Amino acid sequence: MVTLNVNGVECRYGSTKILSDISLEVKPGDFVGILGPNGSGKTTLLKSISRVLKPHGGSILIDKDDIYALKPIDVAKKMAVVPQDSTVGFNFSVMDVVLMGRNPHLGAFQMESPKDVEIARKAMELTNTWHLAGRSIHELSGGERQRVIIARALAQEPKILLLDEPMSHLDIINQLEVMDLVKSLCVQNGLAVLAVIHDLNMAARYCNTVLMLKNGTIFAAGEVEKVLTSENIRSVFSVDAIVRKNLVTNSLNIIPLSPKKASADKKCAIHLICGAGTGTMLMKTLVDEGYSVTAGVLNQLDSDFEACEMLKIPVVAEAPFSAINDETYFANLEMICNASMVVLTSVPFGLGNLRNLDAAKEALQRGIPVYVIDEVPIESRDFTGGRATALMRDLKVGGAVFVKHPSDLPSLLNVSKDKLAGLLEHTALTGHVKDS
Amino acid sequence: MTNKVETSYEKRSKRWKLTLTTLVLALFVTVILSLNIGYAPISFSEILAVLGNQIPLINGGIDPNSFTPINQAIIIDIRVPRILAGVIIGAGLAASGVLYQGVFKNPMADPYVLGVSAGASLGAGLAIVFGAGLSFVGFPIVPTAAFIAALITIFVVYNISRVGTRVPEMTLLLSGIAITIFLSAVFHLLQVIAPSSQLHALVYWLIGGITNVTWSAWWSIFPFILIGIILSYFFARDLNMIALGEDTAQHLGVNTERTKKILLALGSMMTAAAVSISGLIGFVGLMIPHITRLIIGPDHRILLPASVIVGAIFLVLCDSLARVATGAAELPVGVITAMAGGPFFIFLLRRKKLSYRM
Repeated sequence: MVTLNVNGVECRYGSTKILSDISLEVKPGDFVGILGPNGSGKTTLLKSISRVLKPHGGSILIDKDDIYALKPIDVAKKMAVVPQDSTVGFNFSVMDVVLMGRNPHLGAFQMESPKDVEIARKAMELTNTWHLAGRSIHELSGGERQRVIIARALAQEPKILLLDEPMSHLDIINQLEVMDLVKSLCVQNGLAVLAVIHDLNMAARYCNTVLMLKNGTIFAAGEVEKVLTSENIRSVFSVDAIVRKNLVTNSLNIIPLSPKKASADKKCAIHLICGAGTGTMLMKTLVDEGYSVTAGVLNQLDSDFEACEMLKIPVVAEAPFSAINDETYFANLEMICNASMVVLTSVPFGLGNLRNLDAAKEALQRGIPVYVIDEVPIESRDFTGGRATALMRDLKVGGAVFVKHPSDLPSLLNVSKDKLAGLLEHTALTGHVKDS
Repeated sequence: MTNKVETSYEKRSKRWKLTLTTLVLALFVTVILSLNIGYAPISFSEILAVLGNQIPLINGGIDPNSFTPINQAIIIDIRVPRILAGVIIGAGLAASGVLYQGVFKNPMADPYVLGVSAGASLGAGLAIVFGAGLSFVGFPIVPTAAFIAALITIFVVYNISRVGTRVPEMTLLLSGIAITIFLSAVFHLLQVIAPSSQLHALVYWLIGGITNVTWSAWWSIFPFILIGIILSYFFARDLNMIALGEDTAQHLGVNTERTKKILLALGSMMTAAAVSISGLIGFVGLMIPHITRLIIGPDHRILLPASVIVGAIFLVLCDSLARVATGAAELPVGVITAMAGGPFFIFLLRRKKLSYRM
């Protein structure tokens, strides 16, 4: 079995440092992922390890042998590479291309033996490309070609497999099949795998350990669950992400959120009355649009509450499964008074959160506009024996604006201040202008 | 179909041997037939008698009166060296075409298009004008100067046209054209400033093609082209890997940088050897590998030897045509190859045009 060691590798293009002080180890059966944004040095690192780009410092060892001291053919006997871009110069058949994986094992003028053809066939069966054997490599789709290239790497019978974004041309089913295949070779045959992966979820699902590169240095390395945290993802990729354990795949599930748009001017404050996930998307949208958002009252553990935590939205929280008490009710009301408008989502109402409707009514009475997203008729989400329906009717009478869908809301709110000035006669919007 | 693929690969070695045997036979027949073509009408039986008389074991059985001494001189000292020059030059140009196309992963590459032929002919021209009678460490001066100039040219063209690690068609063709134009201008300058005594030798070489090849001239280039072909064959499988990309070739165990340098040097050596006795013969290195690849596939282990033989056949045929095409006056063989090659090159470009569309 063969171990790959990278010790303090440093690479430069001209005077620009691309990589500095990179160390890692890949043992038989390891599946190591290299993650990082564009330009973080992932591909350069893979080039160094694949004996294409000699590093300026440090060493890369396969079982204590420096790969740059070995002949290319001896490295190729142990290590195969699946590159990102695989254009083929001439019109070779698929079988020709896969058989080229046998090159390191052939003597100078030796032709491929039936045994080599057999190995190529097995590699092609594993990657589901055997039916393409007689076709020209130029006739294949991107996904088929990628699988052929993986077959060629497997025909090399390597102990170490380097993959540079192996899934970039594959559709979802091929991604899973290819990754499952590589993983099983890794687990069953002790193949050591080092892969540059863009998809954080794929990395979380298949890698044992991951390496996060930022500006050419290792930002974090280690077990997937310790490295793939939302803090690290934010620091390295500048993206907010929800990281959860997926109960079906038992691996981390990473949901990246669109980066915030830089809003030209600070927009007004909006208070959300929501719950049970009805407000999560809206919160994200409003925060991205540049509004300052508050929410309440929400029970802890409610998914909207978790969203508030993540988006750092101030929230009035009540204990789990508890009804709103006076303290939280008034805290919420205070928050509402600081906002320039209130948005009420299609949350189901029970006795526990009924007082949020009282708060909305109170807001209207104090001259704060209230928008009601009436996506689901109140009758079908009223679990209070009609009290919520009655309060909703009061809101309508009191001048609340009803919209059919949450997506109508941002477009309504997006109206700029200048346009609003011309719309002042529209009573529902007057309050909106007050604070902004 | 799966079984078919496997058996076809197991029988590949046999198939290749059959292909090469057929081609060698075809070359042999072409050579014999072309001996019959020329200004002086000499019958076939007389040709065979002259040839048989040269072979030690069977010459006892040949009647010395079945051929005239003049016809023997025409056959042995004029036609045979000329045809063998066609064989070795066609082989050398085709081989260097295979090498250039393989190394550049580009089917448009060939010694003529890349300017290597122009470089070699300028080198040869300089040697004829300024170095007549000299030799370079025992090597004849004209092929040596041609080789050095060819090497410099390929190095310059390669570095001009390279974009990162790739050599795109556009830049390769453009820099080849630019270098060719520049070198031709220098060559014209050379013709103007050459002393009249040397000018005669220069023009004689320039328009000569392979019409007046002597045995000694033939022997001065034969070893270079033969060794070039043999050494290239050691890298035939490496060329297959290089077609998959230089990094990939490296991943598959090829010492890419070294292989590329060796092959470009071998290609330049063969081109230079050919040019040093024939002057510019265009497009052989472009067309022959192309046509051969279309017929027998891109694997360099068969493509290289097959192209070598097809190149030899092609140039011998072109030269035969040159001898009789216009009746009395002979055409330089380069005129025939260029007339065939120009349209072929345009055909290739047009077919390639699709891939330039974005």
